[in-house]
Amino acid sequence: MFRRLALSLAILVAPVLLLALSCGLARADDAYPNRPITIIVPWGAGGGADQVARTLSKLVEPVVKVSMPVINVPGATGQTGLVKLWSGNAEGYEMGVMTADTFVLLSGPNARFGMDALIPLAIMTQQPSGLFVKMDSPWKSWDDVIAASKQKPLRVAVTGFNSPDDLSVRYLRSKGVQVESVPFPEPGLRYASVIGGQSDLVYEQAGDVRSFLDGKQIRPVIFFADAPAPGYADIPTSKSLGYSLKLTQFRALVIKAGTDPKRVKILADTLAAAAQQDDYKKYLAMQICDPASFVGTDTARAYLENWMKEAVAVAAATADTTPKN
Amino acid sequence: MNTLHFLAIGMAHVFTFQNLLMMTIGLLIGMAVSIMPGLGLVMGVVLALPFTYSMPLEPSIILLTAIYMSGTYAGCFTTILYRIPGEPMDVPLLWDGWGMTKRGESAKALGWALVAALFGGLVSSAVMTTLAVPLSQVALRFGAPEYFAAVFFGLTTVVALAGNSLPNALISLFIGLLVATVGIDSTYGADRFTFGSTILMNGIPYVMVLVGMYGFGEILSKLGQGLQVSERPDSGAKVKTSFPSLREMWALRATFVRSTVLGTVLGAVPGSGATITSFVSYAIEKQYGKRGDRIGTGIPEGIVAPQIASTASVAGHLVPLLTLGIPGSGATAVILAAFLLHGVQPGPFLFEDPNSTITVYTIMASMFVAVIGMCLMGFLWIRVVIKVLTIPQGILAAIVIMFSLVGAYADRNSLSDMWIIVVFGAIAYVFERFKLPVSPMVLGAILGPIAEDSFMRSMITFHGDATVFFQHPISGTLMGLSILSLIYPLARKLIASRVRRRNGLAAV
Repeated sequence: MFRRLALSLAILVAPVLLLALSCGLARADDAYPNRPITIIVPWGAGGGADQVARTLSKLVEPVVKVSMPVINVPGATGQTGLVKLWSGNAEGYEMGVMTADTFVLLSGPNARFGMDALIPLAIMTQQPSGLFVKMDSPWKSWDDVIAASKQKPLRVAVTGFNSPDDLSVRYLRSKGVQVESVPFPEPGLRYASVIGGQSDLVYEQAGDVRSFLDGKQIRPVIFFADAPAPGYADIPTSKSLGYSLKLTQFRALVIKAGTDPKRVKILADTLAAAAQQDDYKKYLAMQICDPASFVGTDTARAYLENWMKEAVAVAAATADTTPKN
Repeated sequence: MNTLHFLAIGMAHVFTFQNLLMMTIGLLIGMAVSIMPGLGLVMGVVLALPFTYSMPLEPSIILLTAIYMSGTYAGCFTTILYRIPGEPMDVPLLWDGWGMTKRGESAKALGWALVAALFGGLVSSAVMTTLAVPLSQVALRFGAPEYFAAVFFGLTTVVALAGNSLPNALISLFIGLLVATVGIDSTYGADRFTFGSTILMNGIPYVMVLVGMYGFGEILSKLGQGLQVSERPDSGAKVKTSFPSLREMWALRATFVRSTVLGTVLGAVPGSGATITSFVSYAIEKQYGKRGDRIGTGIPEGIVAPQIASTASVAGHLVPLLTLGIPGSGATAVILAAFLLHGVQPGPFLFEDPNSTITVYTIMASMFVAVIGMCLMGFLWIRVVIKVLTIPQGILAAIVIMFSLVGAYADRNSLSDMWIIVVFGAIAYVFERFKLPVSPMVLGAILGPIAEDSFMRSMITFHGDATVFFQHPISGTLMGLSILSLIYPLARKLIASRVRRRNGLAAV
């Protein structure tokens, strides 16, 4: 009885499948894009990278007229998701979000593939990082932090070892500020650790801890930038203190190398148009991003190369301090 | 009084058409995803997120909260009836739930789970609504050593799972812990047991171990018996929710209070999640329950404790998100994203604006309604679920395997996860042949990564000083309890044999 059922099911389903297949083939030559474009987010849902992808998907969908589903493929500091993008086909139906954290690793010795395997479509956000303390912390200024660090090394909550966060902490230590990294890969735990007093400082981007800043739970003591973040004119910057340290957190959209240049151009132009929309500008403001965050595909690679030069210089400056494993 | 006033306004908001509709949809989605093995409630919340883009804020958050809430409850159906936990947090429930089913008391077990979810959900929502800020402040003091101690205590449940042989259970537990170390370690990035394979680099997700060993493994052993043996002691017709009487509930009053307090407080600790609360609550019950020594054999305490704690943890996590802006669990991180995508940052300043204050209280009020709605649905739905018992074993096996594999794929969009399930199903089959218990291994695989993470963080923070676990009051207490529960069975055996010897001597 079951065999007969299965047979009749197969007879019913087969023509439908064939029909769908032939439609797919017929449409393959049509204008690009004609099917959903997936955005791979190599981080968990709810994080900063995820928000960029979901904001863009919302803004770009009506323009490209295909849906842009966001899928989260977290793991190995964002490498898992990018490996998925890299091992897929280069037809232009998969984009990925790449953050500074993963970019550092891609140029490291253990990387699965290099930056030449990907084409940067655009840099969508640039956020200055900084160090934050609990609101009622006795340290009122950066000098207070330095003085306190001389008494007892201060613990800084970071995403993980060898991240830009950790590099920055090591750089400061090489400049005589006694700080050490404690890794908290989960953002929620990282924020909670400084509010609850498990860590003394937290390395973050102002936009990612906006609710804690607005809620007067934490406050910045230093920003790693040339100019103060909007609204924080009285907080010192790394430039004003003479540190050559920025390592701006960026989030870029990338696509597999080898994708048809025409398709790359369509996507890059669409993203450039999205960056001009008011909704996107509002998003940048809410995230305390550089209002001039957007870098188009023509100059994005140069931007990334410059960023890497800075990271190498920072790492060289920290070489004399004890390396972490 | 202000709280009550706002809560009443919030309640009125909940009972608008759109909000109620979203809640109902959310409760249904939560039930569906938590019943599917491998597809967790966090996945349910993530999948629903894109649909909230075009909705106003209130119904969006109510939808996601309802998924979260019912996701902690509905997994008990498959756990108790088929020995297939839908979520990691259902695993402790399985140990006693399946025991009751084997005795033909599955209806009673489901009734207990429903009462537990109702009680835990309502009480913790009430407590968190009134005491959110002071409680969260306490919870924030929970550092890495306390965290490790709590997870270590959870690991000592292995004693309850030992059955006849503690050595066998420990072997199984350590294999589970070994599985948990596979992959790139999260602290220093060292490769462990990856053998150069990309699949193993990301580690073996405990959800896959759980689904593979319980779901897939169960099917394999049924296949081994030629699908002939109907080991289901309950015939489909007999199963219905049978509620415990008031007197029975009163007898378990201590369990109810203990587990609710634990679920709410531990729930408020960022990062603990329903899974840890469920395991720790079970361990506490084993150590302190009046019938703790019988836990694991199929007594209601073993169902009530973990179920209360996992449902209570929802309010424990959600309220700190609303009041402090801290997402304490995977699901609340996604709910935070929903807030942000609507251009709202949750946090203390929400209370400065009367409009957003009402929004916060509407969401809080929706928790109460969601708990009641979820239990009502569970009560009605169970009759439908039970019908599945009458499906022939062969077809049911195919359905379970299909759902396990689909759920596994959906979790990380990875085909290799499906293979991991098959492999662990085979391991579970081999385990059963060698009379090694499966549960301790699953316990190790679930709690192993959290234990390691918090242990490493403690060591980094306190510069490798291992005595730190005994110096802090909370972690010290928990470590003491853990050691006690580990040596207790040994000591009991020793005393028993000594008493026997003395009696023997006296007889001579």
